[in-house]
Amino acid sequence: MKLNFDMLTKGLLFVGILLMSQTLLAQRDISGQITDAETGEPLIGANILIVGTSTGTITDFDGNYAMTLPEGTTDLEVSYTGYASKRVTVGSESVLNIQLSAGEVLDEVVVIGYGSVKKDDATGSVNAISDEDFNKGVIVSPDQLITGKVAGVQVSKNSGEPGGGTSIRIRGGTSINAGNEPLFVIDGVPIDNNGNPGTRNPLNFINPNDIATFTVLKDASATAIYGSRGANGVIIITTKRGKAGSPSRLTYDGSYTTSNIIDDLPILSTEAFRNLVTFVAPERLERLGSASTNWFDEVTRPATGQNHNLSFTGGAENIGYRVSVGYQGLEGVIKTSKTERTTIGLNYNHSLLDETLNININLKGAFTKDRFDQGLGASWYFDPTQPVYDPSNTAFGGFFEYGVGLAPRNPVSGIEQIDATGRSFRTLGNIEFEYKMDELIQGLSAKLNLGYDANNGRAATFTPTTYRNKLVSDRDGEIYMENFTRTSSLLDAYLNYKRSFGVHDLDITAGYSYQDFDAEFPQFLAYDLSNDIFGTNSTNPASEFEASNFVVQNRLISFFGRINYGINSKYLFTATLRRDGSTRFGPENRWGLFPSAAFAWRILEEDFADGLRGVFSDLKLRVGYGITGNQEIGDFNYLPRYSLSDAQARYLFGNQYITTVRPDAYDAGLKWEETASLNVGLDFGFGNGRFSGILDYYNKRTNDLLFTVNVPAGTNLSDRVLTNIGEVENEGVELTLNAIAVDSRDFKWDLSGNIAYNRNQILAIDQTSDAGILTGGIAGGVGNNVQILRVGQPAYSFFLFEHKLDANGLPLVDGIDHNDDGTINLADIYEDTNGDGMVNDLDKRPIEKPAPDFIFGLTSAMSYKGFDLSFTLRGSLGNYVYNNSSSDGGYLNRVNERGDIFLNNVHESALVTRFNGPQYFSDYYLEDGSFLRLDNITLGYNFNNLGGRTNLRVYATANNLFLLTNYTGLDPEVGGIDNNPYPRSRSLVFGLTLGL
Amino acid sequence: MNKLFKYGMVLALFAATACTDLDLSPKSTTTADVLFQDESAYRAFLARVYSGLAVTGQAGPAGAADISSLDEGFSNYLRQYWQFQELTTDEAVIAWGDEGLGDLHNHNWTDANQFVRAIYYRIFFQVSMANEFLRETTEEKLDSRGVSDATRGDIQAYRAEARFLRALSYWHGIDLLGNIPFYTEEQAIGSDAPRQATREEVFNFLDSELQAIESDIVAAGQNEYGRADRAALWMLQAKLYLNAEVYTGTDRYSDAVAATKKVIDSGIYSLEEDYDNLFLTDNDSSPELIFAIPFDGESTQTWGGMTYLIHAPVGGSMDPVDYGINGGWFGLRTTSALVDLFPSESDDIDDRANFYTDGQTKEINSISNFADGYAIVKFQNVSSEGEPGSDLDHGDADFPMFRLGDAYLMYAEAVLRGGSGGDLATAVGYINELRQRAYGDNTGNIAQADLDLDFILDERARELYWEAHRRTDLIRFNQFTENGVWPWKGNVKEGRTTEAFRNLLPIPASEILANPNLSQNQGY
Repeated sequence: MKLNFDMLTKGLLFVGILLMSQTLLAQRDISGQITDAETGEPLIGANILIVGTSTGTITDFDGNYAMTLPEGTTDLEVSYTGYASKRVTVGSESVLNIQLSAGEVLDEVVVIGYGSVKKDDATGSVNAISDEDFNKGVIVSPDQLITGKVAGVQVSKNSGEPGGGTSIRIRGGTSINAGNEPLFVIDGVPIDNNGNPGTRNPLNFINPNDIATFTVLKDASATAIYGSRGANGVIIITTKRGKAGSPSRLTYDGSYTTSNIIDDLPILSTEAFRNLVTFVAPERLERLGSASTNWFDEVTRPATGQNHNLSFTGGAENIGYRVSVGYQGLEGVIKTSKTERTTIGLNYNHSLLDETLNININLKGAFTKDRFDQGLGASWYFDPTQPVYDPSNTAFGGFFEYGVGLAPRNPVSGIEQIDATGRSFRTLGNIEFEYKMDELIQGLSAKLNLGYDANNGRAATFTPTTYRNKLVSDRDGEIYMENFTRTSSLLDAYLNYKRSFGVHDLDITAGYSYQDFDAEFPQFLAYDLSNDIFGTNSTNPASEFEASNFVVQNRLISFFGRINYGINSKYLFTATLRRDGSTRFGPENRWGLFPSAAFAWRILEEDFADGLRGVFSDLKLRVGYGITGNQEIGDFNYLPRYSLSDAQARYLFGNQYITTVRPDAYDAGLKWEETASLNVGLDFGFGNGRFSGILDYYNKRTNDLLFTVNVPAGTNLSDRVLTNIGEVENEGVELTLNAIAVDSRDFKWDLSGNIAYNRNQILAIDQTSDAGILTGGIAGGVGNNVQILRVGQPAYSFFLFEHKLDANGLPLVDGIDHNDDGTINLADIYEDTNGDGMVNDLDKRPIEKPAPDFIFGLTSAMSYKGFDLSFTLRGSLGNYVYNNSSSDGGYLNRVNERGDIFLNNVHESALVTRFNGPQYFSDYYLEDGSFLRLDNITLGYNFNNLGGRTNLRVYATANNLFLLTNYTGLDPEVGGIDNNPYPRSRSLVFGLTLGL
Repeated sequence: MNKLFKYGMVLALFAATACTDLDLSPKSTTTADVLFQDESAYRAFLARVYSGLAVTGQAGPAGAADISSLDEGFSNYLRQYWQFQELTTDEAVIAWGDEGLGDLHNHNWTDANQFVRAIYYRIFFQVSMANEFLRETTEEKLDSRGVSDATRGDIQAYRAEARFLRALSYWHGIDLLGNIPFYTEEQAIGSDAPRQATREEVFNFLDSELQAIESDIVAAGQNEYGRADRAALWMLQAKLYLNAEVYTGTDRYSDAVAATKKVIDSGIYSLEEDYDNLFLTDNDSSPELIFAIPFDGESTQTWGGMTYLIHAPVGGSMDPVDYGINGGWFGLRTTSALVDLFPSESDDIDDRANFYTDGQTKEINSISNFADGYAIVKFQNVSSEGEPGSDLDHGDADFPMFRLGDAYLMYAEAVLRGGSGGDLATAVGYINELRQRAYGDNTGNIAQADLDLDFILDERARELYWEAHRRTDLIRFNQFTENGVWPWKGNVKEGRTTEAFRNLLPIPASEILANPNLSQNQGY
């Protein structure tokens, strides 16, 4: 190890020289002005750092600064957002004016899988969003930070639940059964994003405040390096880290939130309900109570929340660090619902051995606690003439309740009596080693990334004996607890060779990745309680028990490589190849190969483009093609397996209950879903970079679709088997435009907009099927589906009857022989679309689909002196919603459906349609869900002249301030079927950020 | 050298990490190699072939479903078999609005009907389970696993029972659907889609198959409760032969007489003293049961099966406590056509007339209104002593699939239809045994002259209503579609005749698409 010793002595020598040179100089004052090199305008809030220390200052409103240089310091580093940083050495002068150039912006770098690339050199469709562009307001899960910000990326929060789940679609859905969510890679660790009991959204463990950038890899040339997990796009999250040599900085960010319900449910008021009963079911009048209860009001509330984040970041020579702690507590507008999160984040990076060895350590931990509500549930239709409480009804906790199991339960009783909580602790950590081996081969380095992701927690529900449960489930009080442990470990090892030979730039990466996923789900149910004293803390009061455990494991082993080759930064080539091995497939299909190739041409670098250079500041054409995969299916579906029955599914032989074994259906030939995609894009900028844009066209064709299909009886062990069948195509265009609309000394205005069009179509399901597969279960009846997967149609097309309309455009009422054929049947109200003379299932037609044709977002950021105002508008066009709340509750007989036991309130639509019975399959309930929403608007003020490096910003944000839509339900953003979701709220956030 | 060594180490470390082991084994499920090391697994597997009649998945009452084309609670074998045998007839109507459910009584089901799908896939799930059992218990497999002689002895009977269960489901298959896909253990998993066999082909297979296993199956009355014995096999033979004319065009009444005679003459079975006790939680001890599907409130739970049969008929002013349940489901009632077969609306004359009339109307104005039509109190979750079952959700009573009363009636019918080997006097005697039990004395007895086919059909309704026989009986008597009218048949209040093609159900649309070898039944 002589070499190490050499290095050590060299290092010591270096430090010695530094020390000597520094002792030559003494402490002195310095001041000056920082201006724009071109316009001469002062730069407000520019950072000035004394190199080698953690102290510095920022410029005031006139761009002036003043500070004291400690003994031994000579260099200043001046930085300003959007300008190239500059390092200047202070001579003997006491006034030093410095000019920064906007044109000399440092090469922007974007992260891609297993590496990074200069933005100008990127060949794929890659969009990076950094923290200053993130969405503001009430945000629990990090994906909401980029809602509406990236063309072709649809982030939908499908309910208003605090911390509730989101669905993310990048360029439409490529799959039916194998999942459509993108892969999340956090600091190099691909994470398991499956839901867990007791948590609302697995992504909630990341504090949005700790995130530095989001990078969305959209096309196959970018995602193919993630092979079998790249088909739905990849989102790479990089968390904030400390920078070597940077001054230490303490930042506090805190906010307080109030949220309110926006709309009431569209159900009848007490008075209207009484009138309706009188009209429809006069014989039931004696069932009416004397109270007037607004059940929706009884179960909802204005909610509050708070958010506190404290971070400390800094650096020393060769060392950077960041420590953060955060707390967020957010109530939901349905009573008792709540989510809480406490996070810690650590980053430590260190350059050793003459900067040949870089070590970067990230550690994140989050403790989340959730309290779950019972949903709006029965509050929609519970008889408004009944009281909330009935003190005489002690058996049911003093709540008003019906004595029959079929009757709905008092909605307030569930909210007040059932204690349903969840908690989880998740920690994600990784340590990266980068070792530069220039000594051996110039440009060669090795990287090792070791990571882990551990997540465990539980859901616990306590239902006391006083809850009206026994009539429904024959369990007199119950304790249910569901635990989970998920762990994953990762090892990535790869070599990188990066070197330029004249005009040739070469960047080669090749490596190996191993990731193992384990999960365990033990649970128990204890019921028939002797008392309610202990809640979930003791099962001793229980007399009956059921328990289960389930353990799963899967592993992914990969080899990957990438070559980036550039000629004169004019012609850029990228080729990637990944070979993935997964335990989810049988030995014959275990290994898959995922290649991609891309080419980019920076046209302005061409001689012939001289003329264009006056107009454009950037012009790049990109073409990429690649194959990616999807393997998000359960484990061992390829293997003949036996599952055992539980204690409740045994069978009697003689006097012994036998635990049975069942051979499960399987497809030995199961393999990856493969998506071949083509991307053609154009990056452009003009007005010296003041306007820029990206235009992309893509076509994605997914083959060997993993699909659960009906198989011929006798060919397998169940009616349906997960197998590779079918094809789906997504095709679309995306446009992003950015503009610096105004850029004057006091007033700045940045605008950024994006719009994306996507067309999805099922090309094949199997050779014979043209009928399609019904899906989209609704509330109302059992087994009723309103959507279909059919060849030639978009996935999840609605599948409904065409309702005949009367002269006023209203749907014909049921129960009348409109066509005078002597019988009352479906033909009276629905169109005989196939003309066979009768109306039955064959007359249903695929109509519209839940996915939008267009999604768009507009972000505006303005600043005037210390004030800033920003907002994000977002919307979609052509997305349809089946109004299930209306179809399930909007018919007159609903009042009296079980009138012998109880009365139901009805949806207001019943007063319009006058339907007597439910018309679940009427296209009347299909509505255009196009919308425009003001997601957030923020007004802030920066106090810049507080002295030193102190800065303070106060702000107010309003979330969900308005929603423009023709949809008649509460909110069209529900994922296609509007079925009693958690209502969204309007929130107001007040906060401040203090930096010291 | 040092440099080489150092970087060599780095690269070696890289190479060392490159593990490529992808051979993981499932943890909470297992493979045949592991499972059958324990010889009791054969018994556990056989129990699963049986339990396909009772449960819907490997978790009770629902979970890890066997078939997934529809709601798991709907996918229960007995529930759907019962619904097609009863809801399509004069014996039952149901109030609920689940898609396609009303079509059963209306006689307007299509090949997209989810209940058609349910019974179809259930039948073939059973066939596939039995086939897989037979594949796993071949001599070669048992040899290779070194199975002990004692277990091999048991397995011989197990195999006969698996074949019996396969035959039972194939019988349901040809009875409900006519020409059906046919496959045996010879067709391995993943092989080509099976061909469609004619009703007659399958009938002939069943005829020879049942004879082939007769000697291997445990002797009548000698098997454990819950498992099929030789008498169950005779009952299945009797069912096949009695309906042979429907299935093949050729009658086999003499064979039907012979089969029922074997059951009756075995001397093992006798009539339950009190008719009502046949359908209560302690019916497992009844001397009349020949083959039953056992249910248990704690150990054999489902949302179909007995759970359905004890909850769905309860509603209106009926107090759930009286029936050992936590709440009625306000679903099933009967039509006046069944009521009118009895001498009175109460059980004061005929003990079998278990109608619940309080708050109910005899005639039905609206099927969806539970108060329209008399309710029926038959399957209950209480014992003959009035004690409630072990669980108020899931019932303890077992479903009597084959019982002696049915054997008596089949004997009489087969003789009446000209079957040799029996005589009318004996037949009348059997019928009068049933009627004496019902009337409590001989006031309901009939004379030989009273015994005709119309009487048999009516008596079968009186004795066996709601026991999943009615549709098959009506078809045998040509009263199901073109003839025979009862309230709301064909979706009109007074009832109407319907098209003859509805004597068969359609093969589900999903199956027609999946298996190109199949052709749809005429009319659909």
